Amino acid sequence: MVAAAANTYRETVRERVLLNLVFFAILMTLSGLLLRELSIRQDEKVIKDIGLASMELFGTLIAVFIGVGLVSKEIERRSLYPLLAKPLGRGEFLLGKFFGLGFTLLVNTSVMTAGLYLTLFATGSRPGPELLGAVYPILLGLLLVVALALFFSTVTSSTLAAVCTVAMVVAGRYSDVIRNMQQISPEVPQWLVLGLYYALPNFRNFDLKTRVVYGDPVSSADLGWITLYGVAYMGLVLGVALRAFRSRELT
Amino acid sequence: MAALDQGPALAISGLDKQYPAGLLHRARVPVLHDLSLVVPRGEIFGYLGPNGSGKTTTLKVVLGFVAADRGSITILGRAHSDRAWRYRVGYLPEHPYFYDYLTAREYLDYVGSLFGLSRHDRRERAGRLLEKVGLQRSADQALRRFSKGMVQRLGIAQALINDPELVILDEPMSGLDPLGRRLVRDLILSLKEAGKTVFFSTHILSDAEVLCDRVGLIRGGRILEVGGLDEILSLDVSHVEVLVTGIDEAALDRLPPGVRSRRSLGERWRLDADETALGRIVSALEAAGGRVISANPVRQSLEDYFFKEMVPAGEGERWTLEE
Repeated sequence: MVAAAANTYRETVRERVLLNLVFFAILMTLSGLLLRELSIRQDEKVIKDIGLASMELFGTLIAVFIGVGLVSKEIERRSLYPLLAKPLGRGEFLLGKFFGLGFTLLVNTSVMTAGLYLTLFATGSRPGPELLGAVYPILLGLLLVVALALFFSTVTSSTLAAVCTVAMVVAGRYSDVIRNMQQISPEVPQWLVLGLYYALPNFRNFDLKTRVVYGDPVSSADLGWITLYGVAYMGLVLGVALRAFRSRELT
Repeated sequence: MAALDQGPALAISGLDKQYPAGLLHRARVPVLHDLSLVVPRGEIFGYLGPNGSGKTTTLKVVLGFVAADRGSITILGRAHSDRAWRYRVGYLPEHPYFYDYLTAREYLDYVGSLFGLSRHDRRERAGRLLEKVGLQRSADQALRRFSKGMVQRLGIAQALINDPELVILDEPMSGLDPLGRRLVRDLILSLKEAGKTVFFSTHILSDAEVLCDRVGLIRGGRILEVGGLDEILSLDVSHVEVLVTGIDEAALDRLPPGVRSRRSLGERWRLDADETALGRIVSALEAAGGRVISANPVRQSLEDYFFKEMVPAGEGERWTLEE
């Protein structure tokens, strides 16, 4: 699994998509320097807002657009066959893909975090470690996106997997709308609304940006709960993905 | 490394496989029917059949890419579900594709790591295999720049990275130029000399004739025959090719019955004669002043066999003739 993960990491860092996204992510973080000129006494907040938002947005794009091809492209191109004939189980292959792309996102998020700190220091701010209270949940959310992308990648084509993953991410970010659906359409049964609300991944749980930017403290209990939720959901999705992948006939 | 448990290299018994078909996958298309096959260790076994006959599906079931509906498989004496045999088997898929963002050396290093080989062993084996398949000069070139033949050669190298006891090759000559084909033939023979078992599927009959100890013939998902080429072709001498000189066409017209055809080769004539009439024909040729240069029995070729046995019945199946 380590070999598969290491190769996936190598694959992702050699992807042009990643290079383009990282370039734009850094550009966007730096654009905070320009935008702060437009705000009055809000320099630090603007830079943090833009930096964290870019981290989340570009991380999500990387997770989706690289993640959806990790298995489906291997099946479509048949590069999978010589590997699975070797002592590499389908589970190890899938988890190797997950951890490989996860590591890429860890590196990417770390680089962008370092860039954000540097930008803040360059503008005279003295940010503390509290910023990491927003970065860590972002990374967890990105790993969950990878798990979803991998699941769809095992059961359908890259294109359809991308559509499904984006739909899940968008639905998960606006899960409140689903919860309030009954107010708009009372005829929809409550069990359906609640079932949907709890079944979808709630990406709002991973969004502590506003709290951190406004200086609200993030307790370790909060982070622990988010970790528990993220890991449990990821485990569930990867478990289903593994089951689907193991039973899939590679014709 | 010591050989795995005793037993044949590959034993397949009563294999059935159907693929789902139709919009709702309710229909089932039978692909393999009660397929049984035993490949003893140390031989080169050719798995022959027309396109669509079930060769690749058999290999996919053997390697676990698709599940059999019924039947059992043992590989190197181990049950199919046992992972241990995977350490001792090499596999080349048909039309292989490898990661184009890697170089040949990097790819071999990666697949070597899947066997738990040390960095030193991976490096040493990769170098040796790249040389063996004639890719040493392109070892550090990205695979996206590789031609089809180069990819095929790399495919063979990756199949051998673990020094396997059983090598399964699906259409190994596909995409290779004559030089590459010769190289692969020599490689297969050298594997046999090293005591390995080679199981390869092909629809190129000349390869099978040159290489195989035994062959299995498959059509429509059923094994037609398994055995040595001599057994399958029954050592039948289909006719005798007689080369004669110093005789004119009029004298040839007066030869006794048994001459199937004749062809002028400048001053010589080539006659295809029945084996039973050979004595009478040679005597008549000599009596007419001709000089018999040679008389060679022509055995039925595998290609002849296939045309006779498969083509008439093989509706929808194509037999590809390639040298």
